Parts: sequence; structure tokens; C-alpha cells
Amino acid sequence: MSVNTKGLIVTEDLKKYYRNGEIKALDGINIEIDKGEVVVIVGPSGSGKSTFLRSLNLLEIPTSGKIFFEGVDITDPKTDINMHRRKMGMVFQHFNLFPHLSVMGNITLAPIKHKIQSKDEARENALRLLKRVGLLEKAEAYPSQLSGGQRQRIAIVRALAMNPDVMLFDEPTSALDPEMVGEVLEVMKELAHEGMTMAVVTHEMGFAREVATRAIFMDEGRILEQNTPQELFSNPQHPRLKDFLSKVL
Amino acid sequence: MGQFFENLKDTFVLNFIQEDRWKFVTEGIKTTLIVTLCAIVIGVIIGIIVASVRSTYEKNKEEYAKRGGFGVFLLKVVNGICKVYLTVIRGTPMVVQLLIMYYVVFVSAKNGVPVAIAAFGINSGAYVAEIFRGGIMSIDHGQFEAGRSLGLNYFQTMVHIIIPQVIKNVLPALCNEFIALLKETSVCGYIAIQDLTKGIYIIIGRTYSYYMPLLVLAAIYLIMVMLLTWLVGKLERRLRSSER
Repeated sequence: MSVNTKGLIVTEDLKKYYRNGEIKALDGINIEIDKGEVVVIVGPSGSGKSTFLRSLNLLEIPTSGKIFFEGVDITDPKTDINMHRRKMGMVFQHFNLFPHLSVMGNITLAPIKHKIQSKDEARENALRLLKRVGLLEKAEAYPSQLSGGQRQRIAIVRALAMNPDVMLFDEPTSALDPEMVGEVLEVMKELAHEGMTMAVVTHEMGFAREVATRAIFMDEGRILEQNTPQELFSNPQHPRLKDFLSKVL
Repeated sequence: MGQFFENLKDTFVLNFIQEDRWKFVTEGIKTTLIVTLCAIVIGVIIGIIVASVRSTYEKNKEEYAKRGGFGVFLLKVVNGICKVYLTVIRGTPMVVQLLIMYYVVFVSAKNGVPVAIAAFGINSGAYVAEIFRGGIMSIDHGQFEAGRSLGLNYFQTMVHIIIPQVIKNVLPALCNEFIALLKETSVCGYIAIQDLTKGIYIIIGRTYSYYMPLLVLAAIYLIMVMLLTWLVGKLERRLRSSER
């Protein structure tokens, strides 16, 4: 088993094919994400950016290639992926809160089931995190009683409750009404400023410019260009990126 | 008019009061309820297990095909067994299954009640399994992913996240199945169990009067079904209230 000690997350020639290679969602991704980096991934729909993000915690099983997380090859079948997923928080486009549990239940379920914290500790920690995102008074509410922006902030807290080493965001604001995008981005910015390692698939160019340390442009399952967000957005090199930016900016 | 009520009273006394014939009714109700409730429990347990196996296999077919190994092979075999079970049970009449259970599988059984419980439980399990499978499949895949992304394993995700939501969603369909089961136990008489229907039949055999015992029989089943519906409805409202 090869061990890689360089970045927090390193992928080697990551490929994801569907229908025996007819569709190449990921076509050889090599990337290294270091601790403290905020990496924003942009690209047209169907470019593979979500597939890439979801393969980092093996929600998508890659067809070939390796993923190292904290030096361990998590694509190795012998690796217990559940142990590593605890350290990788994930936030989804559609929140995916558990509707049958209260906000408190959503946040404390995993820490309690993993016996990382006692019930009281988990509750205390949840209240502290809820306060941070300004939703302390919603602790006993159910997801159906919350707005989209509130749900997504709760989803972020739920991931943070596991005290992860990296946070993966899969289009976290795409399903929100425009007036709610700001409150979610605000929480994410705060996280970034605190030094959380983040990988974010998003269309929010403003957010990328402001907090990202690196921006990546993907198309057809490949990384076509990467740079600082300022450079990538104002001085694009690849014709596909130029075309993409002309459509979205 | 007075004559009519006089007749009614006489028939009632003849069928239910004389020689304590009402005991056939109370004993019958007791047996019917025991068989039904035990069969419901067995059916739900079988149903959840079979549904979990089937939906696990179906959801992860692709991944398993690639991974291989003994565990995957075992799951494939168990999934196959579940499929055969569903086909056979749903493809043959309940009475036939009951007779086979009594006269072929448990030949040496002295008491028919446990045999009936097993037969009805196994039968009901097949229908409950499909109800639950539909319920599991209808849960948004994002719920699985959210559970797994928090490091919960497949089993924990099922128990803490999926099944509680499934139960809430399938309760109306499940109630239907329980009602059908309760009424189907009326064929218990085929294997010499004195359930409610058989009890009434015994009364008819002794009094040779038909209309009152049969109408009473129908009324008792109706009341039991209404009671069951009311109970499940109450449970449903309680489960739902936690969300609002």
C-alpha cells in the first residue's frame, strides 16, 4: 500500500467511467489539496466537478486511480472508509437534513453514534455551533419548519459537529432562493477565515474571489486550468474557460 | 312489529345464550386476535429483513459487481432466496399454504394455532416486504448519502435514518395489509382451529339458524377492523406530529 504524506488530499489519475467508458465523468484528475487551502471548483454542468467532489469521500466509487486522505489510500478496499468520512464533512446542494429528527437530533446523531461525545457533550457542542451560525433558537425545530438558508446552515453545523479536517461543499447555494445565498456564504467565509480546509463546487464567483486560495476550472472530466481566483477569472488562458466565463460573468 | 322483535330475541337467545353458546364467540375472537397479532409481528420482522436485503442488493448492484468477494456472493444468494420466497408466497392461495403447513410441514403438530401463526406470518411477510421495499426505494437517495458522509455505516444509516422515515410513509399501506390478514384468518377452520368463523359455524351446526349468526359474524369482523384502523391511524398521527 503506497503512502503519501504530502497534501491533506491527493488524487492520482482519478477516473470515473459510466457504461464501460462511454461516458467519462472523470478522466484522470491529479490534484493536491494542502491543509488550510480553500479550493473552488468551477465548470459547466456535466464537467465532472460534482463527481470529483463526491469521489473524494467515496460517495462515488472511482473506476480507477487513487485518493490519499491524510496519507492513507482510501480507495484501497482494505481501508475502513467510515473512519475517514468522519474527518470529511460534506454539505449537499439539497441539504439532506433528516426530516424525522429535530435540528438537535440532526447535529448530534453521528457524534453520539460514533461514541465520540457523550449525549451531553454533543448537545453542548451543538448549541455552541448553532450560536455561531445564529440559529440557537432553532435547536428544537424540525427541518420542515426552516427556510432553505437556515437548513443549509444547519447542514453545515451538522458536518462541523464531527470536527472534520476538511469540508466538502457540493453546490451549497444552488438550491437556495437568491436572498438566502448570502447567509450561507457568510458562514462559509467565516469557516475559511478560521483556517478550515475546504473544497467547494460553486457558481458563486464573488465568493471564490474573496476567500478561495485556488480556483480550478474543469470540463469534460479534466482539470483544464488552475490558478489563484483573481488570475483565473480575470486572465483566463484556456479557450474553454474564456467561453465559460463569458457566459456566466 | 312486536312479533318481529319477539322473533329476533328468540333467535338471539337460541344462538348465543342457550347452552352458553356465546362462549364460541368469545373464544373465537380470542383465537382470531392471537393468530392475527402474532402473525403481524412475524410478518413485519420477515418483511423488514427481506426488504432490507432486496433494496441493499438493488441499490448497490453496480458496486458489488465490481467488488466481488464472499460477502457479495452471499448477499446475492440470499437475495435470490428472497425473490423465490416472494414469488411462491404471493403466487399461491393462503388456504393452500395453510393446509401444506399443517398436513405436510408440521405433520406432528397437535395444536393448530402455532402452525396457523407461522403460516399467516410467513404469508404476510411477503406482502409487508414489498411494502417496505417500496418505502425504502421512495426515500431520497440524499438521505443515504448524508448518513454515509457522516461516517455511519450502511446498517446504522438504515436503522437511524432510513427505517424511521419508511415506517411513517408505509403505515397506510401496512394498515391495509393488517386488515387483509385479520380477515384472512377466517380460513383457520380448515385446519381445525376454532377461530371466530369456525365458532359461528359450530353454532349454526347446532341451531340450524343462519341469518343471525352470520350477520353477527360479519359485524364482529367489521368492528375489529374499525378498531385496528383507528389504532393505526392514531399511531400515524403521533408519528407525524413530531414533524410539525
